[in-house]
Amino acid sequence: MAADFDIIVIGSGPAGVSVSFPLVEAGLKVLMVDGGREPDSPSPSSPFLVGRSEDRSQWKWMIGEDFHALRDDSGSPKMRVPGHAFVFDGFGDANRIGASDYVAIGSLARGGLSNAWGCGVATLSQDEMREFPFPRTELEPSYAAVARRIGISGAENDDMADYFGLDAWADPPIRADALNARLLERYSEIPNAASALGFRLGRSRTAVLQTDRGARKACDLSGNCLWGCDRRSLYTATEDLSALKKHTNFVYRPGFVVEKLIDKNGWHQVLGSGPDGNTTYGAPRLALAAGTLASTRLSLQLIGHRLPVPMQACPSAAFMVWIPVMLGRRREPAFGLGQLSFAMDLAGGAGAFGSLFNPTGIPIAEFSRHMPFRKRFGIDILATLMSSCLAGNVFLPGRLSTATVTLGGSGQLHVQGAYATEVASLMLEAEKLLRRAFRRLGAVMLPGSFTIGRPGGDIHYAATLPMRAAPTIGETDSLGELYGVSGIHVVDGASLTDLTEKSHTLTIMANADRIGRRIVAARSQPAG
Amino acid sequence: MVPADMKIIVTGATGYIGVRLTDLARQLGHEVICMTRHAHASDKAWIKFDLLDPAPLELPADTDAVIHLAITPHSRAADPDFEFEATRFLVEATQRAGARMVFVSSQTARQDAPTSYGRLKWQIEQLVGKSGGLSVRPGQVYGGAEKGLFGVLVHLVRTLPVVPAFLPAPKVRPVHVDDLAAVLLGCASVNYPSGTVLCVGSEEPVSMTRFLTTIATVRVRRLRPPIPVPVMAIRILSRMVGPSLRSRLGLVRLMSLIELPDMETTDDLRRTGITLRPLSSGMTVSGNDRRRRLAAEGRALLSYVLKADPAPGLIRRYVRCVETTRSPRPMDLPGIFLRYPAALALLDSPAIRKLDCAGEFAWRLDAAVLLAEATVAGSRRFLEINRPVGRTRSLFRLGHAVHMEAWWRLLALAGRPVVDQIIRKTWQS
Repeated sequence: MAADFDIIVIGSGPAGVSVSFPLVEAGLKVLMVDGGREPDSPSPSSPFLVGRSEDRSQWKWMIGEDFHALRDDSGSPKMRVPGHAFVFDGFGDANRIGASDYVAIGSLARGGLSNAWGCGVATLSQDEMREFPFPRTELEPSYAAVARRIGISGAENDDMADYFGLDAWADPPIRADALNARLLERYSEIPNAASALGFRLGRSRTAVLQTDRGARKACDLSGNCLWGCDRRSLYTATEDLSALKKHTNFVYRPGFVVEKLIDKNGWHQVLGSGPDGNTTYGAPRLALAAGTLASTRLSLQLIGHRLPVPMQACPSAAFMVWIPVMLGRRREPAFGLGQLSFAMDLAGGAGAFGSLFNPTGIPIAEFSRHMPFRKRFGIDILATLMSSCLAGNVFLPGRLSTATVTLGGSGQLHVQGAYATEVASLMLEAEKLLRRAFRRLGAVMLPGSFTIGRPGGDIHYAATLPMRAAPTIGETDSLGELYGVSGIHVVDGASLTDLTEKSHTLTIMANADRIGRRIVAARSQPAG
Repeated sequence: MVPADMKIIVTGATGYIGVRLTDLARQLGHEVICMTRHAHASDKAWIKFDLLDPAPLELPADTDAVIHLAITPHSRAADPDFEFEATRFLVEATQRAGARMVFVSSQTARQDAPTSYGRLKWQIEQLVGKSGGLSVRPGQVYGGAEKGLFGVLVHLVRTLPVVPAFLPAPKVRPVHVDDLAAVLLGCASVNYPSGTVLCVGSEEPVSMTRFLTTIATVRVRRLRPPIPVPVMAIRILSRMVGPSLRSRLGLVRLMSLIELPDMETTDDLRRTGITLRPLSSGMTVSGNDRRRRLAAEGRALLSYVLKADPAPGLIRRYVRCVETTRSPRPMDLPGIFLRYPAALALLDSPAIRKLDCAGEFAWRLDAAVLLAEATVAGSRRFLEINRPVGRTRSLFRLGHAVHMEAWWRLLALAGRPVVDQIIRKTWQS
């Protein structure tokens, strides 16, 4: 059979675009298919504080004309943003993924979940990669290529520089707001702060532009991070997709949801429904980048694996920090994603990672849900207090999740899960540590604000089909190639060998890039 | 419930009740044949029926029910025997067709009624009962188009500067015309023991004065102070004038209204399975003040969270939001909270919000918070935009809020029995 394409990439998220670049640049004929959903709801057109004080239609982007924000009960502010509806809508149904006691989210959108991500980036250390079937050095060039391509800011000679390990490719940080700046200043005044406080603090590294890059403009602190940045300062995979589409050997077919993979003696067919009804594409190779949940379902279905498969995700928590000396400040324009990040070591060698955010862009209504006050007075308190508060989150390593995914009889994937028992005590330890550390920094963790998130709420699903040096059924080799089926590469979170507490997106992208390069290299040097 | 696709014959189909009944029946998918004096262009199937021209008649064999609404118009007052004869032919034809007969009688129906109208209705009830049919005695029918006796009363209230408050006050049992139509359709499909007479009207009697002032305030939207009119005076006037003037002045109808025998409706209503709408709701032009009550609820919740009067657009948004994402039903908050939204702090405690029965209240309150926040006025209240700030001010605001919270907590504690009763009455019924 003559191949129209050398490889089909399923999914246009960070993994899909990252595997495609080396392939396309090496001249391979690449077909990319995805759910193709596009934004259908307006984003704010003026800076956040201006919009809030002047825009009479602000409810349209804050709540949605169909009252989207009030229909969603997932408990996450991000899911309630009307402008994000297109990112999450329809995924579970189209990909036949269901869940109990678990937040199972995916995307049919062009660019996938990166349309609504927190832009956190980090590299894994050699030690953190000890279970991976390839050395850290093999990932290094890919980390560099991806980091340079997407644009990263936050480089600073601080206590977190080694932890993130990517300052060589990063721009300086985006200007910190007064609250974060004050915390960092207090931290720098304490001698040997990291060991004195039990946590390292530094600037967050994020995939957000600090300097203009063509049509993408540097962050101007408009504060619309949560609602949609019309300056395109925040990286999304759609930026890379536009670059890929300039290549003539790259074909993009949006609106195609893959139903099933078929393997016919090394010739792979992708069955699905698209704009032209049911369609089948074929190629000698596939790259699965549909997102961990969807890629796992397609893989398990192909190999007929019906046993429960462990899935990692980061147990998470959120909290509020109040800086009393800042009381009475006016709300100021501020960057809405992570400004400061911290890392700490908990019992049993578990690492914890978290970030601090300016909460100005988050509706007070979100916080008032959790206030043990009458709404009227709870709002009074929040309205006055929030200008001197920061929001924070904490992530623990993914191995502390006990979630499993199971392929059902009719091809649906069921996610079920909880946290490992030690998560409760680790979270308690993290809370105590943070409380103490923030007190030393002149801040107070608000009592009762430390809230453990629902399992899966972090959306860091990974390691269902882990890369192993000697894979067995339900695993993948060092090229993400599914055991027992040659030519099908799992290149998204599903094939990560291990999930640390760090933001994992950059690692997924680098790994996809690495696999892409290795596929190209293998073609130019045909085996014996 | 009412099975679909019945064939129903309705006499008096063009009258006040008939129009609403046939509309409802058709909406529910039934086939309706009108029996009237004159055919209407829109009627495909029509059977001639004239109470003043008794004649034997035949009904289609597959008729399921006949609902007999027709009455002799006052302008054509004639010998009641005509109406009885005509009805007898109808009852016989109904029996031959094997259909159910539902006769709409009158609250005045009595063997010894003072008016020939009341006596005639009683006689027909007997006739219908013997044939295996059912009679329905409606109370004071109101609502919808301004026709029938309701139309006369609305017209009077609209024209007169005052409403009469008869002393002693006669009592009526109002029933909205659409509720009555629903009852009648139900009767058309259910077997009741033969000779059953169902009394359909409000469970609690309403004084004629209150009925008229409700027309004034809700329907006509005018201030109509009640002026006391002793019943004795009308009685004397009625004796003084001759029979023809008595009729022309409407004194006969008035006296029959005043001397209306009360009827017990609670048990009969339960048999029909239909809950009558409250008078203040049914009296509005739409026949339903659901939306108005939802708006009142929204205004209360929004002013409670905003600490200011919400803009009309914001209230409309609340109504649309609740209608499209939840149920269109208002929560029926007691009036005190609608008038004094600050009092909602009694109900809005973290403990009460967690109660299962208060789930809808908690949801709507959260919705009101977000809806209020996403406005220009909300940015001032929630973000302190265009509001003076500063450390002293902020400390004062925090202190004040904590103080208020404590104060309302104490108040809620003291008023615990009252609050519990409100919760039980409002949400656990």
